[in-house]
Amino acid sequence: MKAKTTEKKNLDVGLYGFTGCNGDQLVIIHSEDRLLDFFSSANIKTFSLAKSDNDDSELDLVFIEGSISSQEQVEHVKEIRNRSGFLVAMGNCACYGGIQAMELGHEGWDRRFQSVYGEHFLEVRTPVESKPIDAFVNVDFYLPGCPIDADQFFSVFANLIRKTVPAMPDYPVCGECRWKENECLLLKGILCVGPLTAAGCGAACPSHNLPCFGCFGPVQEANVSSEFKLLKEKGFTVEEIKRRLRMHSGSGILKSLKNIFGEV
Amino acid sequence: MREILIEPLARVEGDGGITIRAEGKKVKEVRFDILEGTRLVETLVVGKTPAEDLSITCRICAICTLSHRYAALRGLEKALGIGVPPKAQALRSLMHLGELLESNSLHVFLLALPDFLGYPNAIAMAEKYGDDVIKALALKKYANHIMAVTSGRMIHGENPVVGGFGKYPDRDVLSDIKKQSQELIPTAERAVAILAGLSIPDYFEQETVFMCCEPGDSDYGIVGDSIRISDGQVVDASEYRMLTNERFCTHSAAKHCLYNGKPYTVGAIARMNNLGERLTGQAGKLFKKHRNKRWHTNPVFNNLAQAIEMVWALEQIPKIVDSILKVKNDPPIVQPSRKEGEGVGAVEAPRGTLYHYYRIQDGLVADANLIIPTGQNLEDIEKYMRKAVEVLLSQGADDQTIRMQAEIIARAYDPCISCSTHMVRFERDVK
Repeated sequence: MKAKTTEKKNLDVGLYGFTGCNGDQLVIIHSEDRLLDFFSSANIKTFSLAKSDNDDSELDLVFIEGSISSQEQVEHVKEIRNRSGFLVAMGNCACYGGIQAMELGHEGWDRRFQSVYGEHFLEVRTPVESKPIDAFVNVDFYLPGCPIDADQFFSVFANLIRKTVPAMPDYPVCGECRWKENECLLLKGILCVGPLTAAGCGAACPSHNLPCFGCFGPVQEANVSSEFKLLKEKGFTVEEIKRRLRMHSGSGILKSLKNIFGEV
Repeated sequence: MREILIEPLARVEGDGGITIRAEGKKVKEVRFDILEGTRLVETLVVGKTPAEDLSITCRICAICTLSHRYAALRGLEKALGIGVPPKAQALRSLMHLGELLESNSLHVFLLALPDFLGYPNAIAMAEKYGDDVIKALALKKYANHIMAVTSGRMIHGENPVVGGFGKYPDRDVLSDIKKQSQELIPTAERAVAILAGLSIPDYFEQETVFMCCEPGDSDYGIVGDSIRISDGQVVDASEYRMLTNERFCTHSAAKHCLYNGKPYTVGAIARMNNLGERLTGQAGKLFKKHRNKRWHTNPVFNNLAQAIEMVWALEQIPKIVDSILKVKNDPPIVQPSRKEGEGVGAVEAPRGTLYHYYRIQDGLVADANLIIPTGQNLEDIEKYMRKAVEVLLSQGADDQTIRMQAEIIARAYDPCISCSTHMVRFERDVK
């Protein structure tokens, strides 16, 4: 075994963070038992939250956290894409834009920006409304979650450094709820968006008697219109349901909402 | 024109940089640039329910997620006229201590110590300081475990809700947390010993003002309804606007704060300077041994203050766990008594005082204002860096020396840049 692994050079890997809370990189740093293995199983060239000797050169594999929210970040993410082999959007901000991309619409982003910063402008950055990574570059793999799940990350990482394609759950949080034998919160009349949300968190909130807020983004082929019908039957208003759905799922849910309602 | 640019500033949370410009031996400009993208969080929570607000604002920052949650809970519960039962209060104290330990250990061991020991990161330190790195990671893991157990997940757990908790942790798990706390005290003491042994340069020292929450009893603490200032004043937290007085700077996506027109410092060093005399036990002994008058003039001692605070937190945990276990039955979630009101919640995040103000109308957030610790420290960070650069230029120092010293000062404040871009103001009626 040993002889084989030394023949092959470790992959060059980078981790970058754009706009967000740094929670996905922190999930990795918080994985104390696996941290030393993580740093030795690949050549971690860039990881600016964890180290200062970063090297921005060509990468075989790159993980990007955060959404894009300035003109400078647009250029930077394109520059990273150009020198990287396989690109993973890591966490909800990178995958769907995150909370800052719920596109509130009503007054427009410019007005909201002004309400916070007044008439001032920033010299250091040119801010734009937050968008997910795939609004600007090709994404090869999506690893959602707010934050990502550590087991899921290390499984994806281990697969990718061996050049195999990782499998992701294609079922909703409800699947995990059933395995944990949680009582269904929807049956109790609580607004839970678990049926529309990708599994991966281990049904973290329903296991604490609390509804799913949708922080892993939409499950593949989520049936938004039937969930809407179900929730309306339970007595929730369209406004309440829309507000809840768009909180964490950004671009992932807005398309479906636009299909159902036209304007969102 | 001589220019030193540090971008990005590594081993801090978020996207920040330092810009230094000089002509000959004269400083033209020293800036701490906040480059993080804007998220306009205070506009996102308007029109949301209190539960939705908690789910959004905790995501401002992954390191201080529970401080944001706790400050929001305190603000929202004041607005809604909710008092939580003692068991819920004690569990909140435990989660808050868990986060303080997590953040202080992350900063002391992984982010700050490599500077002083001459390494690019903590993993590289492992060769010479292997045992210390492993023990440090064990302490951090324990702190993360407390956060996961109390909040429901390691980061952005939703278990602490308005009026209480979704679910209380198992008694066995809590008993284990109590037991382990004592085994980890030597690790925190070791951090104190390493940091106390470093020689800290004094050429940038100058006076400043310190602020922190006043716990309201005679103990050291990290939460309170009023604010203690090092000039001797104690001011109600609802006066947060007067205390922090935000203003805009073109090089920062975070607004800067001034108190009476002057820069001030928040964080572990402010808490130790204002409340440290109240410490008892091992933390009290260490405080008396290491604290000196330079703590009032040199922000780099914040690292040591954080380490002593870790000892304090570990000594508190058994008492807190006992007070949770004392109550056998888990109290139900307390429901709001009204749908209108306003309130300010103040807590000490690991890096300083954090305010969440809310006005609630028809059960929804009508107005929110969040004031974040790093924004409050920005003026002082620049003040100390400027002095350091002035002195180093006069001595003919090279770029690398200037760069290193500026980084050490900025990093000592344990800046949280994701947080600081959200300390922004927004006022609007819900239409």
